[in-house]
Amino acid sequence: MTDTSFVDLFALPGVQRSAWALLVAGVSLPVVGVLIIGLDVITVRFAVMHTALLGIALGLWWGVPPYGLALGMCAVLGLSLAPLASRPAGLSGPMSFVMTMTAAAALLVLSISGVNANGAFEVLWGSILATRPEDLIVLVVVAVAVLTMFATTRRRLALVLFDRELALCSGVSVVALTALALLVVCVSIGSAIRLTGALLVDSVTILPALAARNIARSFGAMVALAVMFGLVGNAVGFVAALQFDQPPGPMLVLVAGTITLVTFMPRRRPAIPALH
Amino acid sequence: MVACHGRAVVLAEVSLRIDAGSSVALCGSNGAGKSTLARCVLGLHPLTSGKVRLDGVHATSRAQWSRRRSDIAYVPQRPAMGRFPLLVRELLDSSGDPGAGRAAAERLQVDHLLERSANTLSGGQLQRVMIARGVACVARGASVIVADEPTSALDFDGQAEVAEILTGLGVTALIISHEQVLVDRCDRVVEMAQGRLREVR
Repeated sequence: MTDTSFVDLFALPGVQRSAWALLVAGVSLPVVGVLIIGLDVITVRFAVMHTALLGIALGLWWGVPPYGLALGMCAVLGLSLAPLASRPAGLSGPMSFVMTMTAAAALLVLSISGVNANGAFEVLWGSILATRPEDLIVLVVVAVAVLTMFATTRRRLALVLFDRELALCSGVSVVALTALALLVVCVSIGSAIRLTGALLVDSVTILPALAARNIARSFGAMVALAVMFGLVGNAVGFVAALQFDQPPGPMLVLVAGTITLVTFMPRRRPAIPALH
Repeated sequence: MVACHGRAVVLAEVSLRIDAGSSVALCGSNGAGKSTLARCVLGLHPLTSGKVRLDGVHATSRAQWSRRRSDIAYVPQRPAMGRFPLLVRELLDSSGDPGAGRAAAERLQVDHLLERSANTLSGGQLQRVMIARGVACVARGASVIVADEPTSALDFDGQAEVAEILTGLGVTALIISHEQVLVDRCDRVVEMAQGRLREVR
């Protein structure tokens, strides 16, 4: 691809929309990634993915906006998981249960209703270049919600993610805050899977947060670094995809993965003075 | 009160009354139920039966538990310190009084660690920070301190120093400890064995 055609691509409204979507996602979704790591719900993606699939299948069957119903069901999932978060065993078990049951329910709904399964499964293979204006609006709304939640609860959230019991003993409403965080996480992932597809959504959520955790010393620094890595990863990945005429999803993952790998590299240790 | 871990009865009809302003050392072998007792007082572990009264009030609602916890300075045996970085300064600020947190950090000689991430501290440093947080909670207005083996990671001088600080706060204190220097400074000593309490001194 020549430089001229690369620049020309950015003149296309669809590409511009995709770039805006990645910009918005780069600012907000790494914050969600930080929450996912802090709440130890890395498998939440699978539960959300299948819940969204069920929502879309039901939406197509009932003739209601499928994507809206999917997001609503993701919100219900987040809120219903919250009471289980205080269990010592954590949320992995309940999420695996939800993942399996919703996948089965979605397949049953598709079979019973006879709706076009391709329309439902589209959610698993979303593409940034297929971003619609309404997807961008949803992303912006979610981003505002994520950043507002972070700005208003930052200190309390940091304590909850550090030590849940210490937060309880410090007067923090741990249950309510956990429910809010899970709600934000589930809805954000539900909205993000349109960008990269459910299978690659980690590149815009968890990978920047993982990279940031390797470097940051505080919660605030971790969030700031995660956002920075998210923006850089999205920008470089998207430009590389256009430049080399490759699908954006894998390019985004490769760039985010490379950034994360670099942060795992050992740093130079200070010199140890010799003993005499 | 009675409390269980699964099917195992950990606290078997334990009854303990602590007069306001006095200090009680709680001793006992590992697994005797000392930490569970402290956690029941804070509502972190559910009671199977019985009541925990603070100033005659038994907490039942979420709001009452929240008030109860804000009236108790808790020094855990070891914070969970999961996956998250948190600055020592932020940890001390969670006492509810950042100014008191700084002063307590100075008193416990951890003021040089304020900008360090708490999960990079040594066991002893972290214990001093947690004690400083407890002291700051008392300065903020907590009338009770519950400390779970607060000196287990400290050297001998540190144990004596912390024993003096904890028993000199002038608030009701329930201190779980095996350290003689700390036990000796408490007004009363009770021992827990097989889920029951016995007055030692």
